[in-house]
Amino acid sequence: MIHAEGLTRRFGERIAVENLSLGIGAGEVFGFLGPNGAGKTTTVRMLAGLLAPTTGRALVAGVDVCAEPQRVRSVVGIVTEHPGLYEKLSAWHNLKFYADLYDVKSSETQIEKYLNLLGLWERRCEPVGTFSKGMKQKLAIARALLHEPHVLFLDEPTSGLDPESAKTVRNFIAQLASEKRTIFLCTHNLYEAEQLCSRIGLIKQRLIKVGSPQQLKRELYGRHIIIDLKEPISLSEDWQLPFVRDVQINGRRLLVQLDDPEVQNPVLVQRLVELGAQIQFVREQDRTLEEVYLDLIAQEKP
Amino acid sequence: MTLKRIQTVIIKEWREAFKGGKTVWIGTVAIPLILLGVSFFQLFHLSDIRAIPPEELVGTLFLVPFLYFLMFPMIIPHSMAIYAIMSEKEQKSLEPLLATPLRTGELLLAKTLASVIPALAITWVAFGLFLIVIQFVLPASVLEWAWQQFSTIWLMTLGLFAPLAATFMTLAAMAIATRVSDVRTAQLLSSFAMLPILMAAFFLIFQNLLEKPALLGGLCAALLVLDLVLLGLNVKLFGREEILTRWR
Ligand SMILES: Nc1ncnc2c1ncn2[C@@H]1O[C@H](COP(=O)(O)OP(=O)(O)OP(=O)(O)O)[C@@H](O)[C@H]1O
Ligand SMILES: [Mg+2]
Repeated sequence: MIHAEGLTRRFGERIAVENLSLGIGAGEVFGFLGPNGAGKTTTVRMLAGLLAPTTGRALVAGVDVCAEPQRVRSVVGIVTEHPGLYEKLSAWHNLKFYADLYDVKSSETQIEKYLNLLGLWERRCEPVGTFSKGMKQKLAIARALLHEPHVLFLDEPTSGLDPESAKTVRNFIAQLASEKRTIFLCTHNLYEAEQLCSRIGLIKQRLIKVGSPQQLKRELYGRHIIIDLKEPISLSEDWQLPFVRDVQINGRRLLVQLDDPEVQNPVLVQRLVELGAQIQFVREQDRTLEEVYLDLIAQEKP
Repeated sequence: MTLKRIQTVIIKEWREAFKGGKTVWIGTVAIPLILLGVSFFQLFHLSDIRAIPPEELVGTLFLVPFLYFLMFPMIIPHSMAIYAIMSEKEQKSLEPLLATPLRTGELLLAKTLASVIPALAITWVAFGLFLIVIQFVLPASVLEWAWQQFSTIWLMTLGLFAPLAATFMTLAAMAIATRVSDVRTAQLLSSFAMLPILMAAFFLIFQNLLEKPALLGGLCAALLVLDLVLLGLNVKLFGREEILTRWR
């Protein structure tokens, strides 16, 4: 659905995005993470036909963003960093304006549908200036969906929202994903990325890494098994099993690094029991995506 | 170019501008009404107006009110054109707008027309009112006489000068508004742009304009050139990249 090759964008001397190549399949929710100024918004603008890349090319929904930016704009939906609504106009008139620009057939039905879905129908006649930040954000999402785009770009859709509104928006994104829309989600919220995205790309001017949240965690840290014992145990030098890559003993807790715990755990547990360990719990250590993110960004020297 | 998109933007501009508050109402409707009221007041308060021979009424009755019709096309679009740009910038609404299939040429045309159309409509309606009032207050022969005297200048003013001047003011105000960050500065600077044209118009009035319509023709030709230059400038300013990266 989205296919980018060597996408680069300069602003004068400054390179905002460098040599970005990326493929995103239909129906995928792709998370785009990176620190401030990493080039997320610039990437979205290029892919949505708003800014021309300096070099490189991209196909979005089968349309070349360099050759036919206007067609790209008519088939994708975008929720920009700022909702950018007309505050003096009512929610209805804001949506009607956009529906007409997108040339939406039966625009009134579409407007009604999305105002209802996002819980704004009751307040459709009020000027948007009176809306809360969360309501504005929802309206901006509704606006991006009126023409039923198959590809949707969301640039930090939950930033600045209270936890409850953020959750509503996240649930709505999950619902959109279940409708097989391709979603490109820029976010600073790692929890959100982990919850919603099947794959994640880390960018800091260049694309640092792409993978599923689990893959990213594993690749960076290997896999660690935490074993909690009833009593501390002292292990002699010769207890080692060949596949154990590292062990840290911390009182009653062992932290064991393995390559393939599904196969190796039973052997490990049996060996420990033979050595007299009384095992209470065995579980895999779960790194947060936040740790992965911070480590990867720190490794990436400018 | 599609007419539908242009029309959609124009209607949105009007809806927004007239809900947008006092400045647009004052600039677009209130000031012309006040100026018109003043000239009518003059008419009604000349004592014995019906006894004065029309030739002596030229100054008070025709030239002075006539000045207003040179000014209207410049004053009226001023606040609307500034609003059209500043409100988009302040609300950060340009990015989602440019993410639609709307072309930047359509946006420029729609915003220009949204200011020029009301300016022309109000100027023409005001002029119609003016003629009706003359007909009402003065002997019927006066309008007939005036028409013979002034029709060339009147028609040139309404048909040629007004659209050119309204376009000039709109394009100048929009170009300035794209480059400054607050409404007051935009208003001040675009008022300066208005001054030379207004001064030229005043100058013409006192140059026996009635006998030399060519002078007005010359002013119109100059305006046409200015309009084309400003149009070129605005086309540059309304580039998609330009709007997204340099309108602050
Ligand atoms: N119009 C512009 N003119 C000059 N430089 C720009 C422009 N837009 C973006 N940049 C630069 O490009 C880089 C990437 O900016 P971008 O807005 O894409 O980052 P981002 O990842 O979206 O950041 P954030 O998380 O803060 O939204 C930054 O260094 C920024 O200063
Ligand atoms: Mg951004």
